[in-house]
Amino acid sequence: MSLATDAPATAPARTGMQGGRSNPFLLMPITLFFALLSIAVIRTPNLMSAAGIGAAIIVVTPLILATYALMASTISGRGTIDLSVGPLIGFINVTMIQLHAAGLVESPIPVFLYCMAVGAAYQFIFALIVIYVRVQPIIVSLSGYLALSGINLVILPRPGGMAPPFMAEWGYGTSIFSPVLIILLLATAAWLLFTATAFYTHLRLMGSDERAAYTSGVPITVVRIGAHLISGCFAGLAAICFTALISSGDPSQGTTYTLIAVTALVLGGASLSGGRGGVFGSALGALNLYMITYVLSTFNFGTVQSFVTNLAYGTILVVSLLLTLLIPVIQRHIRNFSPLLYFVALSVVVLGIILHATFDYAALGTAGAVVAGPLDMQAALTGPLEIATLSPETQALRVAAAPFVFAVLLLAVIAVFLRLAVGQSSRRSVAPAVAVIVAALVLAGAYVMREGAGAPAPTPETEATE
Amino acid sequence: METLPQISLPARILGLAIGIFLTALGVGFGFAQGLSVQIVILSAIATLALFTWAWRYVIGQFLDAESTAVVEDGPSPLRRAWLQYRWPLLGLALVLLAFLLLSLTVEGFFNIWNVISLLILIAILVLTRTLGRQFQQNRSAFIGIMVLAGLFSVGSMNIEGFSSGNNIKSMLLFASFLGIASVGQTLVALLGGLDLSIPFIIGAANVGLLYLISLGVPPWLAVIIVLVIGTLFGVANGFLSYKLQGQALIVTLGTGFAISGGVQIITSIGTAYSGNVFGTVPPWLSNISAMNGSTFGLPFPPVIAIWALIALVLIVGLRTTVYGRYLYALGVNRTSASRVMISELRYWVIAYALSGFFAAFTGGLLLGWSGGGFIGVGDQYLFLTLAAVVVGGTSLLGGAGGYGFTVIGVLVLQVLSSFLVGIGLDFKWQQFIFGLLILPMVALYARSPHIRTQI
Repeated sequence: MSLATDAPATAPARTGMQGGRSNPFLLMPITLFFALLSIAVIRTPNLMSAAGIGAAIIVVTPLILATYALMASTISGRGTIDLSVGPLIGFINVTMIQLHAAGLVESPIPVFLYCMAVGAAYQFIFALIVIYVRVQPIIVSLSGYLALSGINLVILPRPGGMAPPFMAEWGYGTSIFSPVLIILLLATAAWLLFTATAFYTHLRLMGSDERAAYTSGVPITVVRIGAHLISGCFAGLAAICFTALISSGDPSQGTTYTLIAVTALVLGGASLSGGRGGVFGSALGALNLYMITYVLSTFNFGTVQSFVTNLAYGTILVVSLLLTLLIPVIQRHIRNFSPLLYFVALSVVVLGIILHATFDYAALGTAGAVVAGPLDMQAALTGPLEIATLSPETQALRVAAAPFVFAVLLLAVIAVFLRLAVGQSSRRSVAPAVAVIVAALVLAGAYVMREGAGAPAPTPETEATE
Repeated sequence: METLPQISLPARILGLAIGIFLTALGVGFGFAQGLSVQIVILSAIATLALFTWAWRYVIGQFLDAESTAVVEDGPSPLRRAWLQYRWPLLGLALVLLAFLLLSLTVEGFFNIWNVISLLILIAILVLTRTLGRQFQQNRSAFIGIMVLAGLFSVGSMNIEGFSSGNNIKSMLLFASFLGIASVGQTLVALLGGLDLSIPFIIGAANVGLLYLISLGVPPWLAVIIVLVIGTLFGVANGFLSYKLQGQALIVTLGTGFAISGGVQIITSIGTAYSGNVFGTVPPWLSNISAMNGSTFGLPFPPVIAIWALIALVLIVGLRTTVYGRYLYALGVNRTSASRVMISELRYWVIAYALSGFFAAFTGGLLLGWSGGGFIGVGDQYLFLTLAAVVVGGTSLLGGAGGYGFTVIGVLVLQVLSSFLVGIGLDFKWQQFIFGLLILPMVALYARSPHIRTQI
């Protein structure tokens, strides 16, 4: 069995030079997210409405929480890829439905306690098996996958049943601030608080090199159990949101959720060999998967829709994995990459696109689909993406607004350079200030565009100050 | 084997006496239930032989432990024996307790067949714990064969027609599909990788082959095209997952999604049936993998013979050829392998290419079996190939195992599922029991050492 000792040592070779919280692996998910978001907004402006965002949140929250559940155990190393996360969510879902049908759990508090307790109990057993029986975690999870997806069908043979009544309104998705969003925010906040503890540092150390952690006195048994308990609680929350989404029980969603959650985790820049991963990346990965489906659904592929989605999933996954190979190269040139600044800079650009899509299209009305006249370079570039076409007034308006947009972009670029300049010096606490400045610039730009368009602007503060 | 201790004469006599008593009990039950004499005699002999065998090894082990315990200082011999054998003993107690509970609760559960089944189960447990220690190299294979023999004998006793020619034929038929699909998974696992694209390539080949045939391409040419394309997908998988070391699981999943999506788009263009392809399967292809197929006039489908041939070639090949030995070398320690000029990229790509080839081959065979193209035909192989490899005893970390082990794993899974069908459990219960059984079976031989021994 000496061969087992060689395998884990190869993976975390290149994590040495990054310091602090800058994580260059977030580069890919952030870029992909904003690319998809801008395409989605251009294709269907009504995504950016209360109902659109609300529906998106309802659909994507179980996925995000499932990815969190996967992430918490994957960070702990040894190649813990919990394939059973989907069937576990299904198990909690169907047992909760059946218990509710039997009249046992009615009000929110027992439901929450039950779901999180079942998830945590399952993951606790998982951790004990991994620690004491010492079988590879992927085999344990495979075993759990088969057993749980079998027993789910026994408990609830076909989709059906009723969710507890207090969840009935959660699944409508008509407003942004639904209880589901609050669950998501609380879960994210809980993880972020957790990252401030020493326990989290131990967890990451154990994930990157278990032997080093053991020799430096980290209680690896406790840390592993803790990681799995957190994962179980996230799985319970994911099951609640999943139940709210479908308002009933469904025993056979397991495979789908497992595969999608693993994909989302990897798209979010986490390492499957352990030690690297976070809520920000995981949430972005899950959002990206949702956006891929959403964007593709705006193109009408007819009967082959789901096949195109599959093709796009696979291709984007492989390509984005291949692009992570470039990250060491990028890292050599940009020493202090800040995901926060990158996020802010891209959100400025996308905000412009959102404003354009929302207000220019509203001013357009229903115009014809074909641009007549000589070939316009801009129309040729954006034409395939845009559903409506531009009327002459909007064209003129756009020309008038161009200097302002240009100015905003220029200022954003200046801000980036400022940040880089600051990053070269030893003081690193200016990033929030820069973000505030950029946000102020965005507000100014939005104000200018609003003046130009003469339409009521939304409140872009929420977007910019993130 | 030479390390087995000899047991004393009284112990042997005692064992024989208990065995004869148990056999007499079995014979009494048999006659009381009015069974045919041959079966009673057969089972009596089986009981006696198994019991004396088990007795010999159990007592031998205990005596050995006691003799060493007497020499050393420390806890009493009894306590030592308890400490050494507490887990098997607890397991035995648990099995007996479960049997007792079932006999008390379920009406008609306590009959001769179930008692014999219990004896066989215990015999397997004892044998795997005692004799299994003697096999350092091929322990998983030994355990697998024991489980297989036990399952088969229990099944043929309890289930009408379990050991009939037809049932064995159908078990072998399905085992060959799974076995051929697991070839690639085994090779890739020997290198320390994983290939989750197998089910997608199976489905894609299944649909694609029928699509090509319905386009008017000659069937033999269509088969070759599909196999070549499958191999090319495998090569792509190999390059991609080599570049992304450690992410093989997710890379192959991604390519799998892309392949199945892409093939479906191509095959659904111009048809109204999305995802399903209709056409006529040539008779020679159906003959290869249908239940009533014949091989050169012999009444079994050729796919079984094909599987046997592939297994033979692979087992011998992995053992004797340069390619096979280099594969193991890379799996055990890739750094030292590359020091002796073994090209890692080359072997990695070849393993994945073979995986793609055999997945496409399975897809074609399944087309012959079902007669209609369906993209989801490979879905159950997503984790089943992995389970077969793992149950057989090939390590997922690479370097240990082989195709012979996978054959045993495939047969165990197949006989088990056949057995579960026979006692009236449907798919969901089968899956549940599969899941619960994989873990203890793997735990018997694939435990990694404690972290403190790895430093």
